[in-house]
Amino acid sequence: MAAAGATTAHRTYSFKVVLLGEGCVGKTSLVLRYCENKFNDKHITTLQASFLTKKLNITGKRVNLAIWDTAGQERFHALGPIYYRDSNGAILVYDITDEDSFQKVKNWVKELRKMLGNEICLCIVGNKIDLEKERHVSVEEAEAYAESVGAKHYHTSAKLNKGIEEMFLDLCKRMMETAQVEERSKGNGTSHASTGRRGVQIIDDEPQAATAAGGCCSSG
Amino acid sequence: MSSKTERRGIYVDQAALLCKKGCGFFGNSAWGGFCSKCWREVNQKDRAKQIEEDHALAERLQREEEATYAGSNAGAQSGNSSTQLSKPEEKRNSQKPLTVPAGKKFFSTLAKTTLGRDVNVPSQPAPTTSISQQPVVEPDQATRQFIDFLKTVQKPGRDIFKQCHSFCHSVAYKKDLGAEDLSESVQDFYQNLSDRLHTVYKGSPERIEVIMDEVEKYITLQLYEQAFCPESADDEVKDLAIQKRIRALHWVTVQMLCAPLKEEIPAVSDSLDKAITDVIEMDSKRVPRDKLGYVTRCSKHIFSAIKRSKREAASADDFLPALIYVVLKANPPRLQSNIQYITRFCNPRRLMSGEDGYYFTNLCCAIAFIEKLDAQSLNLSPEEFELYMSDQASPDRPQAPGISFSSSSSSRSGPRADRPENDLIDWGDGVEASVQDVLDGLHLDSCTPSTSAIDSDNVDSEGLPPPLQPQVFAG
Repeated sequence: MAAAGATTAHRTYSFKVVLLGEGCVGKTSLVLRYCENKFNDKHITTLQASFLTKKLNITGKRVNLAIWDTAGQERFHALGPIYYRDSNGAILVYDITDEDSFQKVKNWVKELRKMLGNEICLCIVGNKIDLEKERHVSVEEAEAYAESVGAKHYHTSAKLNKGIEEMFLDLCKRMMETAQVEERSKGNGTSHASTGRRGVQIIDDEPQAATAAGGCCSSG
Repeated sequence: MSSKTERRGIYVDQAALLCKKGCGFFGNSAWGGFCSKCWREVNQKDRAKQIEEDHALAERLQREEEATYAGSNAGAQSGNSSTQLSKPEEKRNSQKPLTVPAGKKFFSTLAKTTLGRDVNVPSQPAPTTSISQQPVVEPDQATRQFIDFLKTVQKPGRDIFKQCHSFCHSVAYKKDLGAEDLSESVQDFYQNLSDRLHTVYKGSPERIEVIMDEVEKYITLQLYEQAFCPESADDEVKDLAIQKRIRALHWVTVQMLCAPLKEEIPAVSDSLDKAITDVIEMDSKRVPRDKLGYVTRCSKHIFSAIKRSKREAASADDFLPALIYVVLKANPPRLQSNIQYITRFCNPRRLMSGEDGYYFTNLCCAIAFIEKLDAQSLNLSPEEFELYMSDQASPDRPQAPGISFSSSSSSRSGPRADRPENDLIDWGDGVEASVQDVLDGLHLDSCTPSTSAIDSDNVDSEGLPPPLQPQVFAG
């Protein structure tokens, strides 16, 4: 922060958060609930729930959250890296009544850690706690797993609007911390570079990422 | 990338490049084969008006581009700014002594781009296609719009223009710069300029973003020919590969992709048509941001198609398959080139986090999926997939969407594979039967089947005209 100097005072954090999880775990309901406070609304006016933004103000700092939904079907699994490159956070959603969807989350976590290391903040979310009776993923197991991979675990219900706000807020705070740590370390090294691309993008990574985009699409 | 040297080496006789009037200067296809001086004489009238306009503009602006006119304008104004541009000016002169002198005076604002480009005429003998494709006026307009915009920026505007201008020039000289290197230097330039705007001019982030958008527009318009589908990269090969691939996949249906689209609803197919048009239209734009705009428009049409089919907001689970379907139906021209161009020259932040970036990412995903698509990803058996790919069978009847819909909604694995075969057998039986009918009918009429030999001489059948005799015409 110190290195960013004058620009830091009015800075706005821009975070990209990807939403991962099998189909039918309620990813869409989760974000729609969070961004529009709607659930299964018959009169929904939103055209789409795949890209949503939310503006927050956390301890006086402005945060722009861009939430990227990803296609959860198995056949699109290989496309994951194209989606989550350069993201600051990932929300991995599973359905507590569906053991399989929790296994999928584990796969995602492995992949994310491999590709993005520890710079990405992970949230593992057990959704549909309104269906507690039909639970198939034990709380202990899920929380133990989350801890073992350095992620936070949350229980939510999009239907009852439980736990969602908290989860996003917590995620934002963690992303801000990560961003500040990064900035500080950058400030020690190359003091000049950090002011440029606003937000928390890592400057050195960006051109690479840009070319990687082409690589992904064109490699075959 | 390694191929750039040999691809460039098309040799054309020096004489073919000289001015048509034979004055000894090099000609230029953009100038109708004349050198700049003779071209001026030929085109004096047409250009006079434009020059006047340009001069008026220049006088109004009081900015450093006046230095470009300084020669023709007798330095009437711009005492302070003429020095600012002297450096690129010198550089330009020293690098191409033959073509510049007349052109510089003559083309005024236009000179910025055309002169930058014609550097390659002596060094790169074949008149580049880029010059002939390019309407010469367009960069001029771009420059003008850019200047008009910068007027609203007040003080930093002058500096921004100076930087952009000299950057374009410095890049234009490096004709053999690889695509990635060019991208890198453009991105570095964006980065440095926005840094500068942040630190020196202390503009609000929103304002700087707007400025950077205009900068991006100007730079990419100036460098378009060099930057889009450059010879040094294999973009073109990839374009053809994906085009061929999509063509081979023409049989893929909405149902195979599990896209929630009900094409039988007119409003849905309407939206899909619009989406297809938009993704094709992307190729017609030159500025990365405009191209992205078309991707976004395409996506919005897809969303409304999904919404109409499904009656709820589209999630990514719905959107991606639908987008893949649209890309398959559209087979957008120069798809890879466009993707590469946008990735290389677009403001990175727009691609990484903005809404446009999201749709663009989805488009990249769609392409990646299409490239790697196999039987499994369409829920087909490998045999079926092979059959369709080799065009021996088609699950889709474009003329009768009703058939394809109802048939594919039934179980796809077992009986469906035999369907075309069965069809063929049925059809064969049908034809046989009808031929038999016809033959039976004939049989009644011609109960005396006389073996008529048409060619024989003794044709006495009534009603037949006599056979034509060959006749010889003299002369």
